[in-house]
Amino acid sequence: MRILIRYAMYTCVVLCLFLQSAFTQTKLIRGKVVDSKDGTPIVGATVRILNSKVLTVTNAEGVFELKSPEKATTLIITFVGFKSLETPIDSDLSNLKLEDAGTQSLSEVVVVGYGTKIKKDITSSISKVTGKEFENLPLPSFEQALQGRASGVFINSGSGKLGQGLNIRIRGISSISANQQPFVVIDGVPVLSQPIGSYDEPDNPLATINPDDIESIEILKDAASSAIYGARASNGVILVTTKSGKAGKTKISAGVYTGWSKPTRKGEFLNTAQYKELFTAAAENAGLDVAEEFEAETGTKDWNSNNDTKWSDLSFQNGYVQQYNISMNGGDARTKFLISGSWNDQKGILLTNRLRRGNGRINIDHSLNKNFRVGINLSLSKGLNNRLYSDNSFTNPLQLNALSPLQSAYLPSGKPNSNTIYYNNLIEVANSKKLATTYQSISNAFAEWRIIPSLVFRSQVGLNWNNLQEDEFLGRETIDGAPGGSSFSNQVTSTIVTYTNTLNFNKSITEESNFDALAGIEYQTGKNEGSSVTGIVFPDDRFTKISSAAIISAGSSTATEYTFASYFAKANYKFKDRYLLGASYRIDGSSRFGKDNRYGSFPAASAGWIISEENFLRNSSAVSFLKLRASYGRTGNAEIGNFSSRSLFQAAAYANISGLITSQLGIPTLSWEKTNQFDVGLDFGFANNRISGEVDYFDKDTRDLLFNVPAPAVNGFTTITKNIGAMRNRGWEFVLNATILNGLFRWTASANISTYVNKVTKLVVPVPPQSRTLGRLAEGQPFGQFYGLKYAGVDPSNGDALYFKNDGSKTNDVSEAEDMIVGNPNPDYYGGINSHFSYRGFDLDIQCQFVKGGDIYNMAGIFQSVNGDYFDNQTVDQMKYWKKAGDITDIPQPRLYEGNGTDKSSRWVQDGSYFRVKSVNLGYNIPRSLLKRFKMDNARVYVAGLNLFTFTKYTGYDPEVNATYVNSVTLGHDFYTPPQARTISVGLNIGL
Amino acid sequence: MRLQYIFRLVVFSAGLLISCNKQLDLQPKQDVDAAIAIITPENVDAAAIGMYSLLGGGALYGTNLLLLPDLQAADGYVSWRGSFQSFRQVARKNMARDNAEALRTWTNAYKAINMANTVLESLNIVTDADQKQQLEGEALFVRGIMHFELVRFYAAPWGATSDNSQPGIVIKTKSTKDETGAFEKLPRNTVAQVYTQVVNDLKSAAEKLPESNGTRANKFAAYAFLSRVYLQQHDYEKALDAASKVIESGAFQLNASITAVFDNKNTRESVFEIQQNDQNNAGTANDGMATFYASLVGIGRADVRMVSAFLNTYDPNDLRLSQWYYEGVGARPGNMYCSKWKSFSQNLPVIRLAEMYLTRAECNVRLNSSVGDTPENDVAKIINPLRVTLPEITNPTLDDILDIRYHELAFEGVRIHDVKRLKIMTGDYNWDANELVFPIPQREVDATNGIITQNPGY
Repeated sequence: MRILIRYAMYTCVVLCLFLQSAFTQTKLIRGKVVDSKDGTPIVGATVRILNSKVLTVTNAEGVFELKSPEKATTLIITFVGFKSLETPIDSDLSNLKLEDAGTQSLSEVVVVGYGTKIKKDITSSISKVTGKEFENLPLPSFEQALQGRASGVFINSGSGKLGQGLNIRIRGISSISANQQPFVVIDGVPVLSQPIGSYDEPDNPLATINPDDIESIEILKDAASSAIYGARASNGVILVTTKSGKAGKTKISAGVYTGWSKPTRKGEFLNTAQYKELFTAAAENAGLDVAEEFEAETGTKDWNSNNDTKWSDLSFQNGYVQQYNISMNGGDARTKFLISGSWNDQKGILLTNRLRRGNGRINIDHSLNKNFRVGINLSLSKGLNNRLYSDNSFTNPLQLNALSPLQSAYLPSGKPNSNTIYYNNLIEVANSKKLATTYQSISNAFAEWRIIPSLVFRSQVGLNWNNLQEDEFLGRETIDGAPGGSSFSNQVTSTIVTYTNTLNFNKSITEESNFDALAGIEYQTGKNEGSSVTGIVFPDDRFTKISSAAIISAGSSTATEYTFASYFAKANYKFKDRYLLGASYRIDGSSRFGKDNRYGSFPAASAGWIISEENFLRNSSAVSFLKLRASYGRTGNAEIGNFSSRSLFQAAAYANISGLITSQLGIPTLSWEKTNQFDVGLDFGFANNRISGEVDYFDKDTRDLLFNVPAPAVNGFTTITKNIGAMRNRGWEFVLNATILNGLFRWTASANISTYVNKVTKLVVPVPPQSRTLGRLAEGQPFGQFYGLKYAGVDPSNGDALYFKNDGSKTNDVSEAEDMIVGNPNPDYYGGINSHFSYRGFDLDIQCQFVKGGDIYNMAGIFQSVNGDYFDNQTVDQMKYWKKAGDITDIPQPRLYEGNGTDKSSRWVQDGSYFRVKSVNLGYNIPRSLLKRFKMDNARVYVAGLNLFTFTKYTGYDPEVNATYVNSVTLGHDFYTPPQARTISVGLNIGL
Repeated sequence: MRLQYIFRLVVFSAGLLISCNKQLDLQPKQDVDAAIAIITPENVDAAAIGMYSLLGGGALYGTNLLLLPDLQAADGYVSWRGSFQSFRQVARKNMARDNAEALRTWTNAYKAINMANTVLESLNIVTDADQKQQLEGEALFVRGIMHFELVRFYAAPWGATSDNSQPGIVIKTKSTKDETGAFEKLPRNTVAQVYTQVVNDLKSAAEKLPESNGTRANKFAAYAFLSRVYLQQHDYEKALDAASKVIESGAFQLNASITAVFDNKNTRESVFEIQQNDQNNAGTANDGMATFYASLVGIGRADVRMVSAFLNTYDPNDLRLSQWYYEGVGARPGNMYCSKWKSFSQNLPVIRLAEMYLTRAECNVRLNSSVGDTPENDVAKIINPLRVTLPEITNPTLDDILDIRYHELAFEGVRIHDVKRLKIMTGDYNWDANELVFPIPQREVDATNGIITQNPGY
């Protein structure tokens, strides 16, 4: 069956060619259509001969070619958003300028899977963010540019650690055990976006990409746009397109910025006086002597010291950021090029945290003749990341806030104090080195052959090569390096090679209908290889390389790989410029899929109706554009592990000999997760498109979710991975763009709001919260729902912590209290508001981002906001503790070690809503008259700010948190999670 | 003309893909597909070694099967000081249904049983008759001892009912190869049935195993375990006979030094021993016998502390007191710890010859016989001026022998089983108390929809 479909696709393409040759024409004319404003080519403009049925559409360079009858006199060129142009056929056609009709964005070219499309003709749901919107912002990594800018894309940076993985969720959460992150394709090359490092905190391979190299980012959200990526599109697809050369004079642009970072917020913890008051009370209430207890726990007499150490401030350092970049682009009609280079150095706000990256890029595009084009995009980047371990590690600098203010940070000798209650992370800072070095190339080369004017064959090979080298030395004084020092070296290489061949057909069949189609095949291999060595016992801390180690304590090498073989086709049909139909189909085969279920099919269909092109609206002055569109289709999630479907044996060492044991029992039908998605949307423009926008509703139904089904262990296996769960995400997306003032003072604004409602619809067994977490999975409930004891405040009569029972009554006996639903980490809605102002040479861009709802559970509350149950320093709100009968408070009576209110409960659940002024960029363009003297084209100086203000009721450090060390079911958990950085920078860009 | 090009292109592309299809059949590089994992005699031998590597893990003899029997009989004997809830619950006899130790021991024992069944079902691959017999014997040995260890922990003890019809554990005699097998819901067999299975497996293992088998189980390891099984069943004649076979084999001999069996590897005193080295051992931080027992510089968490009430019952002149116990100098220093377990990489004797002498002596006294040798002579092998600097005992009584056994085999994983078979008390708990039986891991009850029943009290 599938083979039939595959051949049918090819047949289809071939048939179209017959149609093509059925026409007979006489004179060949050639020309180019450009935008009058900036001379950029207009793609997809309709070129027609007056009083004739002959017409064509301009290609990606704005070029058209058609054979006209001898007697033809006039060409008519039309394009949405532009005034139509009539020109004599024998005039100079090489630079036909279309005037803007005042309607923006509809003529915009949007990158779609394996091609581009004009926004007006799109029948699917795609968000686009252009590089211009985030240029010159000191972003830690490019994905953060999408936050608040793209509807339907929920981003949680997790923490303020540099180089760590972000949580990106497109249209809700579509998986339990497989990956939940979108599929990322850069210039047609699928890239590694998953962590490959050994740290317990996931690394982000995309952090080494230079945001300034990016021309645009398109997010494919619905099935119609993403199903062409088949088995890897269920979590949405992010297409990144890098800048390319433009014909004309060679332009050089250079930029530099420098900035300073501080945390968005620091924690408020007890000072010495407060600490003494609270713990004296806590010990008294427990019938203990506080000084004795403090001595027993720390082995010091620090209780009587005069120290007042502000540990919570010691976690931070003054961060900075610097960037230097230069790029050159230009070319002629046949060859275009772009060369760019940049160096970026970010010193994080957390002790020792730093990320440096260097990027180089060469994009070249050359036409051998009018039918052959070749090109190459070469990029190489280097990242140097001084990383941090997970939030749960004693070496997480933020855990310093747990230490008592009574203890000094440093000993009189100048060494960090090692007698603290918990590990003093300053020891780690002084005695360890952790560096992850990444080399990455995301490159491709292609050749295009225009077989006939309407048919293009393209062959591309893409490479994503990523080499990660982790070096770590822990000195003999550190907690994990004692007693002799420890050195770890790890090298991981990921290589992904993708071969893509496509045939692209684009043809106006009649004057009123246009047909384009694409068929392709793709083959991909991915390989991960690694090796690591650990050495311990060094002569002293000056020796850090493993060659100096007395004992090689561990060593390993690993390898794994996967392949995909895919066939795909898509077709679009446009009738009368207003009726749009689209369909796509992909077959994905992968080594990851079980041998009995190796190929998956992913069809999608969509339709659009440009209502504003109908006669009854065509001349409406109020409604300038109106399009209704709908799509339905299927996508998959293939991130199920490379060999999950196999029954495997692994090596098992027994002293000096080695044997075999079973490692997993696989099911040969194990396969991709499936998502069926329905989308309906309305695109609109009013008042000559001064106000425009989009509304979308989606319904994503995911089935066959991968789940480890518990099996009786007596049969030798505890779990079997099966395709068995189901989940549903539904939501709305609203986008509104407006030109509020249009004149010398120009003000444009845009806003977007998105929602998703997630529900787990089928689960074999519930996934309960872990011992310290509240997040769970249960049938009929949203992903990651908080489930646990419900805190009921304090008994005013005796200061006991109270919890709710099922009948609503309160109890101080935890064993009588019951687990119940205590929160939902998923947001009610989220979005952004962006404004752009310009006046003469000044421009100002303000971007805000918000999340409403989305509860946060502070897991660290059990230690830091627990009315002095143990000697951890407490948050200042604990001073409102219950003191005497009749006190109305939420903070129970302090009782040292007695666990009054220490149970995991909703006591530490808070509303995580926030509104953030995410970025501000104020610039001034130096007048050209001044610049002429320096032979400059343009120059702009600017001040930019990132995370300038955050408004939230969340009392922790930062509401944008997600402790990653807990399992994937756990969202919105804070555990000493470092806040984001607030960065202010100044910069200069010049163009020559 | 152009069309020809296109056709060629299409054919070329299609050809490219057909070759791609083969590329979808990848083989993992760190594992071997089950279909081709065991196809040569060497593979079957490797699978047998796999069984031993499971036995050496912390869930089995690497820690739990040697530690928990002493921990569960903690009262007046030993105390648990560490932060691991799961071990504390064992010592306090308030184990939760999801106790991590009960879970991992159960799970891994059945993993080992599954490997044993895999070996048994792969024997047709082995061409050499001797090797085939040896591998069959080893697999039966592992299957037998694992069922035995499980039934002692997870079921009411032998004798708790008159016909031992109380629920035992699930008997597994075939390997799991596919989904159907993995989800098969088998009920618990009775204790009597399990013991019958254990005896049958160990008897045929003893027949098939060679007298000498390197560091792997040999014929006498099977007899030694048989003697334990019979003793647990109060079948003193057979226990005596099995122990006697080990002693009279001449393959074993008590070391001159009482520490040598622990400090050195594979001494002649050792009947069956788990092999460990620096790289491959049960654990150095959160698992392993030395990890929990030792209090030495850089070694051990000192979680298992000896109670002075017990140490005081040693004769002050007893060399075992000074040689097997020491004051800790590492973690939780200043308390008394057992020096049988003090190195991460040491081998772990599971059964040593001393136990065989004591078993034979006990049986002879109970049966009023002198099969093999007199109880006096057998006991004199253990208690004599040279070995433990104590005088020999003339005409030892049953109590004498049991007391010697208590002190000789302390902290080697026999105590709670002795409590149960001797029908005595530990602390306030009677030998057949529900609290002395491990919970069936609750996940097992859930995964079988209750076909595997929970033990009373959980």
